[in-house]
Amino acid sequence: MVGTEHVDMIPVANREIWSAEVNGRAVEVLAPSNAVLLDVLRDKVGTLGVKRGCDLGTCGCCTVMIDGTPRLSCLCLAGQVEGSSIITVEGLADGAHLAPIQTCFAEHGGSQCGFCTPGFLVSAQALLNENNAPSDQEIACAIEGNLCRCTGYQQIVDSIQAAAAIHRGEVEPALPASHPHPDPHPSGPEEPQMPPGHAK
Amino acid sequence: MRMAGGYRQQPGGSGKTTRKDGKRVAGKQAFPPPGSGGSDPVMAPRDLDFIPEMVGGREAQPAGAHIHDRARTGTSVGKSTALVDSNAKVTGQAWYGDDVRLANEVIGKILRSPHHYAKIKSIDTSKVEALPGVLAVATGADSPHQFGVLPVTKDEHAMAVEKVRHVGDLVASVAAVDEATAMEALNLFEVEYEVLEPVFDPKKGLEDTDEPIHWRGKYHLARTNVQKRVFQEFGDRSLVETPSASSHGKWNMAGVHHGFTEPHAVVAHWDPNGRLQLYTPQQVPHYTHRALATVLDVPMHQINVIRTFVGGGFGGKSDPFPHEMCAAILSRKSGRPVRITFDREEVYWINRGRHPSHIEVKMTADEDARISGFDIDALIDGGGFASFGHVTSYYNGVLATAPYELGSFHYTGARVWTNKPASGAMRGHGAVNTRCAVEVGLDEMSEQLKVDPIDLRLANLLPPHSRTISGFRITSNGMREALEKVREGSDWDNKFRQLPLGKGIGIGCGFFISGSGLPIHWDPNRFPHATVHMQVDMDGGVTVHTGAADIGQGSTTAVAQVVSEVLGLPLAMIHVRSHESDTSPVDLGSYSSRVTFMNANAAIRAALEIREQLLNAAWEILGYHPNNLVLNDRRIYYKHDPAIGVSYLKALHKAQEDKGALIASGAYRSPPMGGVHKGAAAGLAPAYSFSSYVAEVDVDVETGMVKCTNVWAAHDCGKALNPLAVKGQIIGSCHMGLGQVLSEKMVYGRTGHLQNPNLLEYKIPSIHEMPHVEPIIVESCDPEGPFGAKEAGEGPLLPILPAVVNAVYDAIGIRLRDLPLTPDVVFKGIEKAMKAAGVDDPLDLTPPRAEHGPLQDVLVKRASEHKQRDRARQRSEDTSPYVNGVLFGFDPNLPLEDQVEGWRFATEPDPEQLAELGLAGKAWLKKEQRHMGGDV
Repeated sequence: MVGTEHVDMIPVANREIWSAEVNGRAVEVLAPSNAVLLDVLRDKVGTLGVKRGCDLGTCGCCTVMIDGTPRLSCLCLAGQVEGSSIITVEGLADGAHLAPIQTCFAEHGGSQCGFCTPGFLVSAQALLNENNAPSDQEIACAIEGNLCRCTGYQQIVDSIQAAAAIHRGEVEPALPASHPHPDPHPSGPEEPQMPPGHAK
Repeated sequence: MRMAGGYRQQPGGSGKTTRKDGKRVAGKQAFPPPGSGGSDPVMAPRDLDFIPEMVGGREAQPAGAHIHDRARTGTSVGKSTALVDSNAKVTGQAWYGDDVRLANEVIGKILRSPHHYAKIKSIDTSKVEALPGVLAVATGADSPHQFGVLPVTKDEHAMAVEKVRHVGDLVASVAAVDEATAMEALNLFEVEYEVLEPVFDPKKGLEDTDEPIHWRGKYHLARTNVQKRVFQEFGDRSLVETPSASSHGKWNMAGVHHGFTEPHAVVAHWDPNGRLQLYTPQQVPHYTHRALATVLDVPMHQINVIRTFVGGGFGGKSDPFPHEMCAAILSRKSGRPVRITFDREEVYWINRGRHPSHIEVKMTADEDARISGFDIDALIDGGGFASFGHVTSYYNGVLATAPYELGSFHYTGARVWTNKPASGAMRGHGAVNTRCAVEVGLDEMSEQLKVDPIDLRLANLLPPHSRTISGFRITSNGMREALEKVREGSDWDNKFRQLPLGKGIGIGCGFFISGSGLPIHWDPNRFPHATVHMQVDMDGGVTVHTGAADIGQGSTTAVAQVVSEVLGLPLAMIHVRSHESDTSPVDLGSYSSRVTFMNANAAIRAALEIREQLLNAAWEILGYHPNNLVLNDRRIYYKHDPAIGVSYLKALHKAQEDKGALIASGAYRSPPMGGVHKGAAAGLAPAYSFSSYVAEVDVDVETGMVKCTNVWAAHDCGKALNPLAVKGQIIGSCHMGLGQVLSEKMVYGRTGHLQNPNLLEYKIPSIHEMPHVEPIIVESCDPEGPFGAKEAGEGPLLPILPAVVNAVYDAIGIRLRDLPLTPDVVFKGIEKAMKAAGVDDPLDLTPPRAEHGPLQDVLVKRASEHKQRDRARQRSEDTSPYVNGVLFGFDPNLPLEDQVEGWRFATEPDPEQLAELGLAGKAWLKKEQRHMGGDV
């Protein structure tokens, strides 16, 4: 804080019970009535995957899905979304099965430092829920509110396109990383290939 | 027989393995899956596409063989690989600074200076301490020790002692039970200031003042605010006297910020044993470690620095920070874990972004279109503290000495303190601004010479395995190939100077260090730059301990990849532990693009040691000498009969007999390089990266709006260990560079106040501003790099700036030298050009056109001769020495000083030169206190 001017602007608010469905789970927490959704999600609900980048609605790191619509949780009072269904990045995966958008971000370089990734994933998932064959321009419009400083966006668009292909059923989704791998050669592998440059 | 003590494994699946009576057939047991564990239990054949030609594979090696070729197994290197920590990132489980939540934690807040420059007369904390909920209060009195990232310029305190030096400078800090209480407590500090006259203009910083921002005692330059001055002059200055072309540009570059998405955050916790556990998103945990020991006055072994995931660094998290000290001090006082998280505004107050710069570049070319001289003057605005500035002062000059062969080089630089947030290291540290000025100058000269700017560059490149004019050792050099590839990719020859008004195409090149050659805290000739520890226990998994700080660039992945490659194990079996200073060996951290080069080299050495132990164990089992054994996917076998072999796990267990887990340590130390003159170590690196971009822009001549539409980006990264990550770095660099050249700017108002400390007004390009980038990887196979790799993180940023500026000229015929090229700057230029051309409508302006003169053929011929020369040198067919100057007729076998009269190698100006020095050069008119006589 610089100077002394804005402390008095923080009013003391009553604490109230706030309830909503976060990632499919009913949540009830005690929070000040003027609490910002981002604070409630991070500090009370414990969904630390929702990131705080700017508190000003400029970076998009705190994007969450509220009743299916991506919204900035830093510009949203918790009270405004009382009782709604909220999906954060933690709610995208189906158990151990990562959502296609998640595996595609990993495989196509959509995530470098990863701090903006939760916001991008939520924005992208919201797009794919509506439209599983988006054009690059439609993708650009869907993620225009998210800033990424690492990737230059190109590999993010690639990732979303790859996920869209899975959503359309053109590509098989990957198995979860914890899944036991089937042995393609139950009776042992083929003769190992001769190392190059060495005659028998 | 020869397989003494061993056994023969045979592939199963064919023939019977049991007799009718149910007993095993001798020697025909079922083939066990080689090496259990890992995500894929089955042996995969060696991937010949990823094994070099040199050792019998199919991977092309246009740049020749490499020392690591024999360690290749075709497992990981060269394959596009998802970052090993990406699953944590896409599930929201990656823990960044503010995600560390410890039991019983309290919140720390920082009181910041409202004044630009003031003496602190008193701080009264009694009201703060009386506030219920406040657990600890700290001021400058609690932290008398100075620190700084460079040992030569320790000028920071945890909290201000005596003076505050910029708005937002730390004055005091408080820890309270919750954020609201901490905020309220800040209001209760009573600080009495005596306001001093601030300095904002770096030009004023060169003048004597009553109250310099810092005082360096006998080394202080008169009474100025000059923190560092540099003079360097190499070559034959007489060459510049009769130029056939020249360019003279004065540049104003605004300061820019890294703009990482994660604000700084730190958690400090003195554990019950009295050890400090500090969680922080740091690029250089080890420097923080050292600084903490100094500031807190505890031995280093009592501190454990834990690097959290880093939400973007780009150089902005590579200083030991005062708020980290504050958190530690507050935690020590309160006995509770203290968490301090910055808001976005505080991020800008701590800054460390690129220096606002005044740069002047004069350059000349002679009658053969050889570059006879660079004359660079850089005055850079350091803000309130030194940070990395000592190095930046050098980098602004010395990193312009390549990739071109120069007749002479003259550099004066000065970094001054001003009452602004401190500038520091940012991606492309120090090289970006001068590189832009130099490349635009070359464009201007090519126009005067009536030659193509690409051919001008191609005919003046330093070859591989040469020395620059300042003595840097160039090893691999893919500059020529990069230029050729972007020329072809962009269809340059059909576009340059031929596009209609408002559409333009431009070229820019870059040159950057791949790891700083000097570890600043210890003797480079005794201690390694990087160390990697490796441990393989009975489960077969490989645990790699490294201090390399992954800031999202994928250094952990690179280390895992090279270990996986050497040991022939799938990536899932390599576990890199790099978060804690307790477990990781000392490492300098992620800066100067050193991590992949140095840590991967160290990791290869450790892995080779493990490999040797495994092969020796297999030797005992199979009876074949390791020279005849091949390591493949979890199996070691006889190279002439792959059926004879042993599983990785069996060999591992054999090797572990009597001694337990296999342990190895690998280290990398750069070879002695470069000259001995003052400042010779700045810019010295074991390898250098090269890059070349072509950018296409649309300029709206009626509004001055510039939009970059296409970029062809060729970068020589030596060898792409992970092409996916290299491409990501190239595209990301374009993004950051485009921000600097078109929209990003730290705006300081008339009163010196930073006006846009937020992401709304500090304009980082969104997806709509991004052009299509075509990343082109050039592989020059560096002899010293890990599997030939060099850096790809910073160098790719350099060329985009000049490429865009040159493209704007191609589009509208106006040379602009104020960055960023925001519409107002461009339109002012357009208005000026309209006046000069006497037209009323900007649409009536004419874009520049070019015709080639007679020199063009000379250059094309010289370039094609040099291409043959470079190829031979790159492939080590020609190993003769080459130094900068051969193009000017020097004999490479003689020291340069001995060949030509007038050849200079100077690091201080001659008295007669003082009159003609540029802006920053004026710093040389002053004397240091120790040379001024009198009391100091």
